[in-house]
Amino acid sequence: MKVGIAGVGFMGATHAAAWAETDATLAGFVAETSNEAGRLAEQYHARVYPSFDALLANVDVVDICTPTHLHHEMTLKAAAARKHVVCEKPLARTVEQGEAMIAACRKAGVKLLVAHVVRFFPEYALAKSAVEAGQIGRPAVIRLARGSFRPKKPVGNWFLDFEKSGGMMLDLMIHDFDYARWVAGEVESVLAKSIGHAMADAAVDYGVAILKHRSGALSHVAGAWAYPPPTFRTRLEIAGDAGLIEFDSAATAPIEMLLKKPAADAPDVGLPSSPLSESPYTTQIKEFYAALAHDRPARVSAEDGLAAVQISLAAIESAKTGKAVTL
Amino acid sequence: MKIGILSFAHHHAEAYIQNLPLIPGVEIIGLADDDRQRGERMAWQFKARLFDSYEALLAARPDGVVICSENNTHRPLVEMAAGAKVHVLSEKPLATTLNDARAIVEACNRAGVKLMTAFPMRFSTPLLEVKARLDAGDLGQVYCFNATNQGQMPRKHRDWFVDKELAGGGAVMDHTVHLADLMRWYLGSEIVEVYAQTNHIFHADEVDVETGGLLMLTFANGVFATIDCSWNKPPYYPTWGGLTFELVTERGAVMVDAFKQNLTVYRHDLQRPAWAYWGSDANQAMLAEFVAALREDRPPRVTGMDGYRAVEATLAAYESAKSGQPVRL
Repeated sequence: MKVGIAGVGFMGATHAAAWAETDATLAGFVAETSNEAGRLAEQYHARVYPSFDALLANVDVVDICTPTHLHHEMTLKAAAARKHVVCEKPLARTVEQGEAMIAACRKAGVKLLVAHVVRFFPEYALAKSAVEAGQIGRPAVIRLARGSFRPKKPVGNWFLDFEKSGGMMLDLMIHDFDYARWVAGEVESVLAKSIGHAMADAAVDYGVAILKHRSGALSHVAGAWAYPPPTFRTRLEIAGDAGLIEFDSAATAPIEMLLKKPAADAPDVGLPSSPLSESPYTTQIKEFYAALAHDRPARVSAEDGLAAVQISLAAIESAKTGKAVTL
Repeated sequence: MKIGILSFAHHHAEAYIQNLPLIPGVEIIGLADDDRQRGERMAWQFKARLFDSYEALLAARPDGVVICSENNTHRPLVEMAAGAKVHVLSEKPLATTLNDARAIVEACNRAGVKLMTAFPMRFSTPLLEVKARLDAGDLGQVYCFNATNQGQMPRKHRDWFVDKELAGGGAVMDHTVHLADLMRWYLGSEIVEVYAQTNHIFHADEVDVETGGLLMLTFANGVFATIDCSWNKPPYYPTWGGLTFELVTERGAVMVDAFKQNLTVYRHDLQRPAWAYWGSDANQAMLAEFVAALREDRPPRVTGMDGYRAVEATLAAYESAKSGQPVRL
């Protein structure tokens, strides 16, 4: 199975490292504007293709790690070429695009796997399985928070271009919208507010959303592009009628570094994630490989990816209109 | 300075009766309770005089009374105290209807007595510290809050806490007012819109009121805030609950946990960890302020109108939970 990766930013490089841990052959990379493809191709003994079409012609699976607004067009091309698709979250920039992607892949008989990696983080997977096993009874009120700084890119910071990324609510909060739906079921209504939608020129962005699930459960989702680098913090609280699960990445960090800076102007050293024997990105790609190579089920479907986009866009609409939005 | 306590329906009275004598010059003249048995028990436990009636206690001419009756009976007791020209500290929420809350404020205004609402979080030392940083401009412009005031289902304290009539509701009525008041205080801005979703999944078979709730408040200055008021903590949680908020400003965020000053204690007899609080007692500072306002003949730092505004937001939350859309105040 030959895999090609489109996009060589942080996620493309992370997925490349993950694919290298599978039996798939990493055939090559394509990137429109970056020299990074050459470095990655060298590292993984792969090729750099001059265009997405050239990449498609030489692989069985394309892993789309490009900016959100490009997912639609690339997936349609891949489906037309009868190639399987792994697509970074969010599945698409709009619901219509996501629906078209699912329809095209179904028609072409190819798989469409959406990289909602939070489902593969062991703390989130464990909490989900504890709920599934009935350990805390029926979920009633769920709190999910995910916070960091505004994404930085040396050039072409598409994250900050709302038309391309959908902003913080579609790019960041979608993780927890997906997780809330995974744990408590379909979402009936959303009311949300964010700094970004309340004042365009604010220095930070922070959003909060109240979800009502059809099950009767409520979820509170918070997302932040507001903290100083290198902060990345997530929190989870699932309260049920027979118990409670709490998680805070800061409180469960196994290493705390109280080190003097080697030089006064040196940056603080940050640990990006909890030390684990296998990166959650690798766990995810291994499961996707098994889905593609052996037709095994993956824990996240294209329809899940579409539902997460629907919730995110409903939250954005609510933040713009001030009304609760019914799904 | 002579202080009496009207009703021990709210268990906070059991703390206040111990706090008050610690204030120099304060004498507890006694207590009255329409639940005669409870009154006798409390009088015996705290070695205080039991009056036969609220009227009898007021006839003994206290300078002020602390009212700890059920939420829906604050009004008649406040009116009685105001009629006797006695200053009032009322337990929160000030009332269960806006009509009663207004009547309470007006009765005290008419009688010229001071009215303070028991919002102890205004006297919490961590929250005062944040307020001082805010006022000094250290935090920059405030954009939003992400707040929780969660707890255990409170029936273990008193049955009436989960009685819709006497308490005025469930988790929303119990827990909204503290944070609504705190945010008004921090921002110096009024709540103009409230959205709420509630449910009845925790303790569904035990109580008839809502036990879970999420609120979104919008302030006149554009700041927005969520409040989680749920009774989501299991009975074996290390403590009763807590009050937390993340305050997001132009400079980043401040994470605040008002009740984090705890020891973690593992006891054979409990067979679970327990948090033992060693922070400063906000109730003590709140009662000291009530007494100081009386002595200095000035308005207390927390007024009846503060209590009224918090009730107004809480009742709007119930209205929104019914309609599914935000409610303008």
